Amino acid sequence: MIPHGVRLEPRKGVPLKNGIVRLPGPEPVSAPQTFAPLKKNAGPSRIIAAAEKAGIVDESDGMPLGKKLSRLARRGPGLLIARCFDEDPCTSSARAVFREDAEKVAAGLKLAARACGAEEKRLAVASRGEARRLRGLRLGIPAVVAGRRYPAGILLMRKLCRNGGRAAFLGAQACAALADAAREGKPQSETVVTVAGDGVRRPVNCRVRIGTPVEKVLRLAKPEEDVRIAAVGSAVAGRTVRDLSLPVTAATRCVIALRDAPPERRYPCIRCGRCARACPAGVIPWLVYRELESGDPDPLLFFHAGDCAGCRACNAVCPSGIDLAAEVRRAAARKEGGEG
Amino acid sequence: MNLRNAAPPFVRAEPTSASMLRTVLFALCALLVIPTVRYGIRPLTMAGVSVLTCLVCEILANLLRTGGFSVTDPSFAVTGLVLALLMPLNAPLWLPCASGAFAVLVAKAPFGSFGRNPFNPAAAGAAFAALCWPGLMFTYFDPSEPFRLPAFADCTFRTGVSAAATLKNGLKPDILPLDMLWGEAAGPLGTGAALVVGACALLLLFSRAAHWQAPVCFLAVCALLAALFPRIACSPLTSVKYELLSGSLLFGGVFLVSDPVPAPYTASGKGIYGAFAGAALMAFRHFGVCEQGAWFAVLLANAASPLIDRAVFRVRGWEEKPHG
Repeated sequence: MIPHGVRLEPRKGVPLKNGIVRLPGPEPVSAPQTFAPLKKNAGPSRIIAAAEKAGIVDESDGMPLGKKLSRLARRGPGLLIARCFDEDPCTSSARAVFREDAEKVAAGLKLAARACGAEEKRLAVASRGEARRLRGLRLGIPAVVAGRRYPAGILLMRKLCRNGGRAAFLGAQACAALADAAREGKPQSETVVTVAGDGVRRPVNCRVRIGTPVEKVLRLAKPEEDVRIAAVGSAVAGRTVRDLSLPVTAATRCVIALRDAPPERRYPCIRCGRCARACPAGVIPWLVYRELESGDPDPLLFFHAGDCAGCRACNAVCPSGIDLAAEVRRAAARKEGGEG
Repeated sequence: MNLRNAAPPFVRAEPTSASMLRTVLFALCALLVIPTVRYGIRPLTMAGVSVLTCLVCEILANLLRTGGFSVTDPSFAVTGLVLALLMPLNAPLWLPCASGAFAVLVAKAPFGSFGRNPFNPAAAGAAFAALCWPGLMFTYFDPSEPFRLPAFADCTFRTGVSAAATLKNGLKPDILPLDMLWGEAAGPLGTGAALVVGACALLLLFSRAAHWQAPVCFLAVCALLAALFPRIACSPLTSVKYELLSGSLLFGGVFLVSDPVPAPYTASGKGIYGAFAGAALMAFRHFGVCEQGAWFAVLLANAASPLIDRAVFRVRGWEEKPHG
């Protein structure tokens, strides 16, 4: 099955031309301690050490950058890509970081590529317009345009790795933080978060201290009184929070406030087969669901259930509102031998 | 702020099952407009009693199954409306009621209601009526002289010969093509107006309420077979024109074949399913007894759809092979 991804319904996002708003900390917090900047031609081990010292976390997968780079150095990726696009239609933090300082992202990517020995590096951008802008900046790194369909990252990865190549993604913010750490010895103390959704009056991209409560970030965007749902991480695969005193982490890319909860009504599968077209990992969710429903599932029919990347494209596309991602997880657990 | 937990996704990509059914309902209601303007309110009463019967039967079935009254989806209304539109307008009002009851109580509810029915309930109901009361199903009044039919009472009328029946007898229908486009010819209530049916098809396709594979393959195979094996002595294109515009072929293609529930899951399977239904329909027209049999063809294809799915699986190598 050729994966097509999902065309998500467009949402009014944050206007990128407004730039990134800085949220000042209310109580006096001392500036983070800096360390010695790197020399110009520092070797891979020093770059990885700097990433560890700066405590950088890759926002695209929540992994510490130092660990990720040393793992990549062992594997040797052919291609290293900085993610300067956002997958879900509500978020624009990666694009905002790229708009603000593309040069810094490119410098960080160059350092990371040197650290893990990548032969090639690219900046994955959201649209052709962004790619044109990047060419105008003359940074010396070619652009690659990620598609509009969700999940753009996985679909782009599949496209680039089609001929057996190996590629890895780095977050744009992690790249920028690595450049900061190398140049000025600054640890990663801030992150850019998108606050959007129909529950806020002024959607905004803001730069906040890591650890700031979600409530303060939400307050900045002037939330409506009747916000029912606050979700962090992603509008498709994120999770809801009820306790707004929870901290913002480096991997929090967005806070989405909604006035209406998504409809909870479930219908039976109507056999439209859209989930199989949407899945970027080649799982056939309807087949997995049918097998699990049948009561006597045949594990041979759980195609690639273990490959599920958790993007929830199948859930977004299912007209009957079935939680197919959970079914696929259950099937994968069964296949592994445990009871799902 | 009173926050709640909810499961993602918080943005959607596709219409929901209920909104797809509502779009189909809207399209079906659009088909009632021209007959209502032309013949009075009898089309509305017919559609009303048919939908009402389906609703009552659905509630009855739910009571038996779950002990609750609640009807969760509007699929019963789609069944009722399709049945009313497949009947002749002069049929007694109990005919759509009887076939609606059969459709819901026999073809749908025992299998687990909406989403699990192996056969299209409306096709099953229409087939039931055509087998039990062929005289009532295939007797049409002559619409050439304008008159209004009574809203509820059985009506006396002058019978007209439908295009499908003329074709069955091996003769060329004596109907202007323009009348066939607007449905001003003897035939079932809602299937004649080819232009409106075509507009409904476009609505269903562009609002993504129906997939395109099965209806397109169905119509393509019907047209191809009509061109290759004309039933009357005429040019292939004329044969295609009369075959497509007569009977309930177009309506069946748009509203019966496009139903995703009894169709195969895979896109290529849906194409084969549509083509098979088209071939079956043309075979029924050539060799069958009834003047039209879109519902029989759809039921036959419904029965074949699990087999089509398995065939597609085997061809793609999705079966009998452990996958990583």
